[in-house]
Amino acid sequence: MRKIVVGALILAMPLAAAAEAETFAFDPPHTFPHFALDYAGYATIYGRFDKTAGRFTIDRAAKTAALELAVETVSVTTGDNERGSRARTRDEHLRTADFFNVAEFPRMTYKSTNVKFNGEDPAEIEGQLTLLGVTRPLTLKVDRWVCKVHPFYKKFGCGGNASGVLKRSEFGMKIFLPVLGDEVRITIMFLGMKQ
Amino acid sequence: MKGLTLGLAMLCVPLGAAASPDTYEFDRYHTYVHFAVDHLGMSTIWGRFDAVSGKFTLDTQAKRGGVELRVETASINTGDNERGSRARSRDEHLRNADFFNVLEFPQMTYKSSTVKFSGDAPATVQGQLMLLGVTRPLSLTIDRWNCGLHPFNKKEMCGGNASGSIKRSDFGMKYALPAVGDEVKLFVEFEGYKQ
Repeated sequence: MRKIVVGALILAMPLAAAAEAETFAFDPPHTFPHFALDYAGYATIYGRFDKTAGRFTIDRAAKTAALELAVETVSVTTGDNERGSRARTRDEHLRTADFFNVAEFPRMTYKSTNVKFNGEDPAEIEGQLTLLGVTRPLTLKVDRWVCKVHPFYKKFGCGGNASGVLKRSEFGMKIFLPVLGDEVRITIMFLGMKQ
Repeated sequence: MKGLTLGLAMLCVPLGAAASPDTYEFDRYHTYVHFAVDHLGMSTIWGRFDAVSGKFTLDTQAKRGGVELRVETASINTGDNERGSRARSRDEHLRNADFFNVLEFPQMTYKSSTVKFSGDAPATVQGQLMLLGVTRPLSLTIDRWNCGLHPFNKKEMCGGNASGSIKRSDFGMKYALPAVGDEVKLFVEFEGYKQ
């Protein structure tokens, strides 16, 4: 089941070319980063990015792994995309320079620097998030991780959930602080299919 | 702060016409129903209904309240709405008769029967969910609750978050069991303006 996928290894990751590293591509219909933050002290507001692309490699024998995920910032969605009588929707506002400035920064990316294992499974990912052109550390905890043959795709895949927290002000996104919270909780659901 | 709005009180809730229940209308731009369900034992998949409306009444003196929520089932949104090379997207599939059958059941509704208070704040809501024409009990826990003036428009409001869980098979939604989980966790973020 483990093949050496040399081409993808050389392209993808600055890992030592380990003996039996497997490469997986994130499956877009089943990979979504979600976020939650405090809204004016009243409620927790949720949002999501719909378009992502990326891959991860994992060598369970050597207990090393690496990942890279690119997120299209324009794909931000919080459910508010009909103007009604307003000048703009919230999703439109989020795309402007007040928030994600998607015209100038069409992508935010996360690249791992180190992955810690718990037995054969990745447990914690240390990495860097680049958002609005600013790069800061972001650690993600792997909350759920399962590898098996996908019952519909009939190919081997690994999927799960991961979570972390960041402060948006550290990336220069300071509008409406503190009424709109600084701390943003990230939850990612993901599925990677083996290449 | 509490006006006697007899007309509304009679319309809204079958409570004893208490001294002065206040009525709040959910703000459609800050009220969403989210759900989470197990996907193939690999990850937790999240989704959202974008179009939610309704109202709630509150009598903090008598410690009584009521809520009615209407969700447009066609507004379901899990981030997968572009077909690519597939016959249909996931969101299209969710709208057909395999899942939400939105043509026949354009709305699902939640109506409370009892609201239990903890001090001045609602703590749990007992009620009925009607989905796919089937009505079953559903209790919601109020995880977050706050009332005050909106910091920007200065209108009186209450907002928060609530959660609960259902078994979709109880409502006749049995497609893809058990690959897609039966237990569906619900998360509501809401804000309502006093009328």
